[in-house]
Amino acid sequence: MAEAPKLAKITVDGRVIEAPAGIPLLQAMLDAELDIPHYCYHPKLTIDGSCRLCQVKIEGMPKLQISCNTQVRDGLVVSTQDPEVALARRGVMELLLLNHPLDCPICDKAGECWLQNFSMRFGSKISRGLEPRRKRQKRIDIGERMLLDQERCILCRRCVRFCREVSKTYELGTFRLGDRTVLDIYAGRRLDNDYSMCTADICPVGALETKDFHHKVRVWFLEEVGSVCSGCANGCNIHISTYKNRIWRLTPRRNDAVNETWMCDAGRLTYKAVADPQRLRIPLVAANGTLAPVDWPAAIAAAASAMGDLQKQHGAAALGAIASPHLSNEESYCFGRLLAALGVEHRAMAVRRGKADDLLIKAEKAANARGVRELGLVRGADDGVEELLQACERGVVRGLYVCGDDLLAAVDRERLARILGGLELLIVQVTTLEDAFKSAQVVFPTTMLAEKDGTVTNHAGRVQRIEQAVRPPDGWLTDGAIFTALLNHLQSREEKFAVPEIWRALEQDGTAFARIRFAELGAYGAPLA
Amino acid sequence: MAIGVVTVKRPPERWSSSQPYFAILKGLGVSIRHFLHNLLLFARGQQDFTVHFPEQRLVQPPAMRGMPVLVQMDNGKERCVACGMCEWACPTNCISIFPAETNDEVERYPEVFDIDMSRCMFCGFCEEACPEEAIVMSRQIEIASYSRRGSLWHKQDLLVPVAELKTRLDHLRRQYEH
Ligand code: SF4
Ligand code: SF4
Ligand code: SF4
Ligand code: SF4
Ligand code: FES
Repeated sequence: MAEAPKLAKITVDGRVIEAPAGIPLLQAMLDAELDIPHYCYHPKLTIDGSCRLCQVKIEGMPKLQISCNTQVRDGLVVSTQDPEVALARRGVMELLLLNHPLDCPICDKAGECWLQNFSMRFGSKISRGLEPRRKRQKRIDIGERMLLDQERCILCRRCVRFCREVSKTYELGTFRLGDRTVLDIYAGRRLDNDYSMCTADICPVGALETKDFHHKVRVWFLEEVGSVCSGCANGCNIHISTYKNRIWRLTPRRNDAVNETWMCDAGRLTYKAVADPQRLRIPLVAANGTLAPVDWPAAIAAAASAMGDLQKQHGAAALGAIASPHLSNEESYCFGRLLAALGVEHRAMAVRRGKADDLLIKAEKAANARGVRELGLVRGADDGVEELLQACERGVVRGLYVCGDDLLAAVDRERLARILGGLELLIVQVTTLEDAFKSAQVVFPTTMLAEKDGTVTNHAGRVQRIEQAVRPPDGWLTDGAIFTALLNHLQSREEKFAVPEIWRALEQDGTAFARIRFAELGAYGAPLA
Repeated sequence: MAIGVVTVKRPPERWSSSQPYFAILKGLGVSIRHFLHNLLLFARGQQDFTVHFPEQRLVQPPAMRGMPVLVQMDNGKERCVACGMCEWACPTNCISIFPAETNDEVERYPEVFDIDMSRCMFCGFCEEACPEEAIVMSRQIEIASYSRRGSLWHKQDLLVPVAELKTRLDHLRRQYEH
């Protein structure tokens, strides 16, 4: 590691602050929880110095300085409360608002808009403008998922720098000069990169909006829960925003060890599956050749007795299981216990794979494949899928307990249909009932990450908390509760699925998780080793 | 820190309020006086003091706060842009709005705008919060219904042409003139 940077002492409004020498003065002041207005500075982008709002007075300098482009060095004496600073801020705000449309009532950003906030606090209450406001293009369709409103843009160029420095796709730029400057996409380009929606997060105003959240819910109604994205193995930290027990958007949550301040567009849209009308909402049990809805205890009883019958007839080895990489660590542990109690030897995990890049996106499209492996549920390069399928084809395995839908994407459809059709017993735990699973005897609805508490392990072995953002319907059993109920049924005991207790068991069992304390995970998680 | 006790000087008690039955008698006296007065005049056929509602109605002053209604513009559409300010300001949470997009110049409108009149308390906060003069307190006070569902007013029920709300809108503008 590089040598620890030298600390410098600076004085801000009479208060002495210590900060590493060389970092932007603005960052040092923000780190000290001083509230300095700024637009163009972003901790993960280069410095632009275009908004001029972060100006402060520095002793010994003839004019106000922009604090984002001033480096911290020993002995700086800074004033942020000087009347000159207040005047400069008011002036900057006035120029920004001179041609700004009165769009707040219809602007998606209203309520979390930096322009609103800073003009309320540092701007002037009246407008001195006499000419009509300048007209620009509005609601421009600049990409698959993005809209641009040039009137609202304050030309901070955060989005431009994002496309240059982070996504490295160079779609956005500013064109023309002076007060005719506009932000736009380069001719013939579209803002379609895999991270395009991040520009809406970093845009301090409502100039860049995602089509997905456009005119959906006012932000002040949203409740935010910190969680982890379920889109791929990277485990980007997110905020889940809900209103009326429904998710309306996901936004990245800063975690420098995982995703800095970004997330990919595909991950951002994964929330749609939670409220999908096609989703299975009630357990089904086969009766007279069709699947009929039943209540939860009946489905548990049916599954337990069907597994018991199969094993009595053909031996314990006739039952195989497929674990899901969408289960939390705790649920996977419970599944492992259930499989151990049943004596299931043939186990595998199916993971859907897709595109990967070197920024965030990982090939495995599930949040917790690593956790399932760390818990020792599956082995082998393909997590035992091929071996299990061959065992099914040879007739060694005659019954399968399938967790998760990923099997459909991981295995050739025709082969899978043949194998599943030939089984004597099929129990599935899925989000939607696809044709391939119609031959099942028992179907449980599975729960999504946003609906449960617990932890997941990302590709690098970082264990991170997930928190329940939406409540499933009354009487619903989460995946962990299904496994616990089945275990209860097998061993005639009465236990409940509770995350802290499972963590105690994880420690006692000496699993890879033993070193981590659940209560100490905090918002950013902890690495396994 | 000890809490100091301050003895507040109060005006001396009046004789009338120290007598327990006096206030009751005094109140009854007012009622009886009105009753006799009206009876006498009525018997002489001189005056009828009762407003025969609903055949007759008083003209309420513009400051009166009846049920909140939505302003309907001359093109038949609502002025509301579904900004949600009223929904947020409403102390009883009785407004619920779902926005949607149109191709009009003002791109946003409320697809759903419901007010639960059984919960509305006519405080007028919604009117005060609205940045578009789109929701105003009308003089309408007849909002009883036979069911709970009936007291949920939808956007179509709430729309009132802008011409009919002129007195209230003028009143509001006068208030904000300074
Ligand atoms: S960008 Fe901010 S100030 Fe501008 S219209 Fe939107 S909410 Fe209002
Ligand atoms: S669109 Fe937003 S982020 Fe981009 S320059 Fe304009 S205000 Fe800044
Ligand atoms: S008058 Fe008051 S209670 Fe009624 S809708 Fe308006 S804000 Fe809500
Ligand atoms: S405050 Fe006015 S414009 Fe906004 S939603 Fe309510 S009625 Fe509509
Ligand atoms: S934040 Fe310093 S100039 Fe914009």
